[in-house]
Amino acid sequence: MTEAALSAPVASPKVDRERLTAIGFVLPSFVIIAGVFALPLVLLLGVSFVDANGLTFANYKRLLGAPYYLWVIWNSLRLGLLTTLIAFLISYPAAFALARARGPLRSLLLATLFLPLAASVIVKAFAWTILLRSDGIVNETLIALGIIEDPIRMIFTETALIVGAVNIFLPFMILPIYAIVAQLDSRYAEAAATLGASPVVTFFRVILPLTLPGIIAGVALAFSLSVSAYVVPTLLIGEKYPTLATTIAKAYLLAREPGFGAAAGVVLLAIAIAVVALSARLSREPK
Amino acid sequence: MSEGSPHLVVGGVSKRYGPTTVLDHIDLTIRRGELVTLLGPSGCGKTTLLRAIAGLAQPDTGKVELAGRDITNVPPHKRNVGVVFQSYALFPHLTVAGNVAFGLKVRGMARREIDIAVERALSLVKLGHLAGRRISALSGGQQQRVALARAIAVEPDVLLFDEALSALDRKLREEMQVELRRLLQEVKATAIFVTHDQDEALTMSDRVAVMNKGRIEQLAEPRELYLRPASLFALNFVGLSTRISGTVLSADNGKVHVETKVGRLSALGSFQAGSPVIVAARPEQLRIGGGGETNSASGRVRSVVFQGSRTLVEVDAGAGESLLAELSGRDGAIPDVHDEIRLSWPVTETFAFPMEAQA
Repeated sequence: MTEAALSAPVASPKVDRERLTAIGFVLPSFVIIAGVFALPLVLLLGVSFVDANGLTFANYKRLLGAPYYLWVIWNSLRLGLLTTLIAFLISYPAAFALARARGPLRSLLLATLFLPLAASVIVKAFAWTILLRSDGIVNETLIALGIIEDPIRMIFTETALIVGAVNIFLPFMILPIYAIVAQLDSRYAEAAATLGASPVVTFFRVILPLTLPGIIAGVALAFSLSVSAYVVPTLLIGEKYPTLATTIAKAYLLAREPGFGAAAGVVLLAIAIAVVALSARLSREPK
Repeated sequence: MSEGSPHLVVGGVSKRYGPTTVLDHIDLTIRRGELVTLLGPSGCGKTTLLRAIAGLAQPDTGKVELAGRDITNVPPHKRNVGVVFQSYALFPHLTVAGNVAFGLKVRGMARREIDIAVERALSLVKLGHLAGRRISALSGGQQQRVALARAIAVEPDVLLFDEALSALDRKLREEMQVELRRLLQEVKATAIFVTHDQDEALTMSDRVAVMNKGRIEQLAEPRELYLRPASLFALNFVGLSTRISGTVLSADNGKVHVETKVGRLSALGSFQAGSPVIVAARPEQLRIGGGGETNSASGRVRSVVFQGSRTLVEVDAGAGESLLAELSGRDGAIPDVHDEIRLSWPVTETFAFPMEAQA
């Protein structure tokens, strides 16, 4: 209180100038964000309420009323949730291993994590089709080893879809968790131990809560990427597993129904935002 | 267990990290209710010894007994020790009360009892009004108190402080030293402090263990440590001193007579004639003037440093030797720089140490 009282009369003209300067710096980025991100979203929202007869709720009624499209939405959610869950189960221990690793091993592990990011999603998805198809490497190896006689159907199954999606989106889960784990002070665990907490209790009461921000960032990233994935389901499972993303593409490219595609886009966006918002809420006060 | 009986016994504890011996057969016995400091420079093994007692570092050999129980192979969470870390290591996701309650919760104490214990621990460190605060909203001094309350709340058999005050600024640190000692005596805690700060060691402890190169060089009460250092290292590490090298001429009745570059000096100790030694005395023993049965040397005043109640005078005694005197203005005039003066000090306050022990 005294601080404010002391600084207020002196600082006001200076603050105004500083504020103007700050606005001057922020304005260009603001314009770019508004033009490149906000405006298209507003347009998308607008278009979703339009069909051949003008303003309407028909696009949403069709999307949320038909069992087929509810199934499509469920497919997207399923893809997002399964990918995120499995990616988390792999990422969490992986992030600790990465943080513990020293020297060349750490560089190697980080490189294996970063390099795939440089390759296009299409390339990686195609790589999985080559691995998983009936005459693919996995089947041929299993046959050659005498473990199976006939090729197992792997490509165009949900398993293939989830395996591919987990592989492709894994780095987006590991990196935020690793960033938190790497700076986690080992003294926290030691303090918990000296206070009487067993390693298991320490994990659940100290380590997990302290790494929660990383988990939440990773979940938000991996989920929003996988729930809206287009290339991965198209190449690894195809027609029999329509998702919101493939539905949007179909509506724009084949059916020429931009209103319906926009509505699907809005629903997809709403799902992603809901998950991210929920994550942000969880990360704030875990008390 | 009665007071005065052994409460914590460290027996023959050694620890190596690769080729480095960090702890070299440490023996240390601490009585119940005693406050002991492990004092030494960084790398002397004091923190490793503390961690070995806490169970955070496993010794290669030796045993640790606490409250009559062999805890050598007991994991830290079953040892009932309290540790206050240098960085405090307060849990940032919990409130002040949440941190203090942590140890009680994991012990499965009833909620009501926890509330009472937390309140008591926080009022002990005078932070009862901040129970609901987040850790990040506290000052360094407050965090230090929370860390202390958290460690005390579980009523540990021994409290271990790992450079716990060193993150505080000087004034706060000195206040905390006095307050902490009073508080620990109040709750009758047995505590071990690890520090490299000699003032902290002398202020807070019943006994001080001076550590060097993985060994305890001297374990003594602060007063005895200062007045009767057992080694040159202990002499150097605690307090200031005048140190002059020389060769023993003769020895009699626990005294040695030493030929030095500033003249013939006598000191307590027994060495064979011809041994190279360091003769030393504390600065407050040196007085201006000379003669009689005392040691004395003369030289030119190199510097005069006024320190309030006393003044430190450094004298160049020639031949690369110097004398350090601490004079209180009452004894007489304080000399000026470049004055030629003679200083004398009693033989009974002069120590001799073997030369090769110099660290």
